[in-house]
Amino acid sequence: MQIIQVFVDNINFIGAVALFLIGLRTVVTKKNLIKRIMGLNIMGTSIFLFLVAIGNVTGGVPPILSGEEGVTYINPIPSVLILTGIVVVVSITVYSLSLTVKIYEMYGTINQDELTNLIREDDLHD
Amino acid sequence: MINQLPIINMLLFLATALIIPLLSRRKFNITLIFGFNMLALVMTSSFFMLFHIADNGAIIYQFGGHDSRIGIEFKVDLMAAIISLFVVGLTTVIYIYSCGDETEGVEQKEYGRYYILLFIMLFALLGIIYTNDLFNAYVFMEIISITTCSIISIKRKKETYAASFRYVMLNEIGSLSYLFGVALIYMVTGYTNIDFVSQSIQTIWQLYSINIIIALGFLIIGIGIKAAVFPFHIWLPDAHASAPSSSSALLSSIVVKVYIVVLIKLLFKVFKLDVLNHFHVSDILVVVAATGMIMGSIFAIAQKDVKRMLGYSSISQIGYIVMGIAMFSSLGLSSALFHIVSHGLMKAALFLSVGIIIYKKKIKKKDQFEGLAYEMPITMGVFTIAALGMIGIPLTSGFISKLTLGVAALDHRQGFLIIIVVLSGLLNVIYYLPIIISSFLKSEPKIYHPFKIEKVPWPMLTSVIILGIGILTFGIFPNLIMNIMTQAAELFGWV
Repeated sequence: MQIIQVFVDNINFIGAVALFLIGLRTVVTKKNLIKRIMGLNIMGTSIFLFLVAIGNVTGGVPPILSGEEGVTYINPIPSVLILTGIVVVVSITVYSLSLTVKIYEMYGTINQDELTNLIREDDLHD
Repeated sequence: MINQLPIINMLLFLATALIIPLLSRRKFNITLIFGFNMLALVMTSSFFMLFHIADNGAIIYQFGGHDSRIGIEFKVDLMAAIISLFVVGLTTVIYIYSCGDETEGVEQKEYGRYYILLFIMLFALLGIIYTNDLFNAYVFMEIISITTCSIISIKRKKETYAASFRYVMLNEIGSLSYLFGVALIYMVTGYTNIDFVSQSIQTIWQLYSINIIIALGFLIIGIGIKAAVFPFHIWLPDAHASAPSSSSALLSSIVVKVYIVVLIKLLFKVFKLDVLNHFHVSDILVVVAATGMIMGSIFAIAQKDVKRMLGYSSISQIGYIVMGIAMFSSLGLSSALFHIVSHGLMKAALFLSVGIIIYKKKIKKKDQFEGLAYEMPITMGVFTIAALGMIGIPLTSGFISKLTLGVAALDHRQGFLIIIVVLSGLLNVIYYLPIIISSFLKSEPKIYHPFKIEKVPWPMLTSVIILGIGILTFGIFPNLIMNIMTQAAELFGWV
């Protein structure tokens, strides 16, 4: 029972690490370039989840000063860091998607294996 | 006023990047001269800052006047001042080269864009050197990733897109694992400012040792991917080989080095020696660096494309720098700092001279260099000086960095590392010397006119000559920079 309790208490952290690994596996093993970009996004999301979980305080309220006494606020700084992080990950996604478009125009495929073969053939022609 | 200098430097670069599009309707030379003036201005102010910091200690700048607990803080210590001067100075030289390089796959209308990207990249490079905040470093890191990927893929060729896709993927894995490390550190300390983080890590690391070691692992791997430390190097040769020559020089001699500086900051400012010694980080880094030094050279031998060969050679040279860091001593760190500068000069000289050869002769393969020295004596001369520097022949700066690295290894009581340094040097001989021999000796001597200088745009020749002179100067008078580097390395508080 204790294990389940630990699991439930730390569900956010465990979820974040699991998502990170899923994302990493997708980036490293998938052959489709779009799927790899999705993997990056999953990795990014996992870290955002992790940061939100750090900032959370059980029973806390959003950090908007209302003048009431005896209220615990959650830590706002991780959320602010995530805002920056989201912008960064979005821009990287856009950039890599645009590269994918270019690769598709040039080679006619977005499969990593076929791409590698095509590049090797080009090298041989040189 | 002096406290504002770091941010003024960065803003000057950002302003340049914003003004260049406005000049697009005028003659392109105006843009070039404008950019050069800005670089010269920032170089002067970096010089001034270096002397100021050497006398008066670090400059601290807090954004918006917020307390550094909650705000972002810049802290320019001696190491940061040296590295920022090196970055700006070397970029100026490469900038002069890029003014003459009209082809190399970059289209006419893209020139302006190339320089916009260059200046934004410089902005972020200076930021990452100056900043004293882990999360702020992450943001600058991402700016660097996007701009460097763009200056690779600006060349409208098939292979650059594939190479920069791979680069962006691996770089992102690196950045995200760095961010994960920062999150783990934030979890135990509650700060992102390096000073405060380091203070609280010193007090609580035994309590949360699992957290700290996971964070350390994520941070080192993240930076390792970006700095192309050996097992994470796979993106580097493709990216460097397919980029335009001036971009390759920038990437190999500056961008990668800046990440090494972040690694130094992380190890010796955030975690400090107690934690690192407890987790045996030194041993891990020494093994990684030694394998990198050997394997990078072995891979380089197998390459036919010269630029790919130079890329693999970079991997082995980064091994030297990491080994200097891994000694965890003042001597080792100062040798690493010296090698950052000397490898920067040598690799830029190699990439730019190969760039001139590609520009003039359109050849890329190693075995096409026969008799080239008769046609292009200056270019091949600089190439030879830099290649001898890579091997570690006396009178070049490469010799001094290998010497100090060897002395540091002896000081660290790890004499066997000298064998690896020498072995890696010998492997360098195997792939550099055939090029030099075939270009100088393996051809019918043509009649050579000493006054007929090779017909290459003068900016390209000037910049490679400056680099060649720099390599020789730092090889003959190493104390010009070695003293201040030792001073910078001693500031880290070794036990």
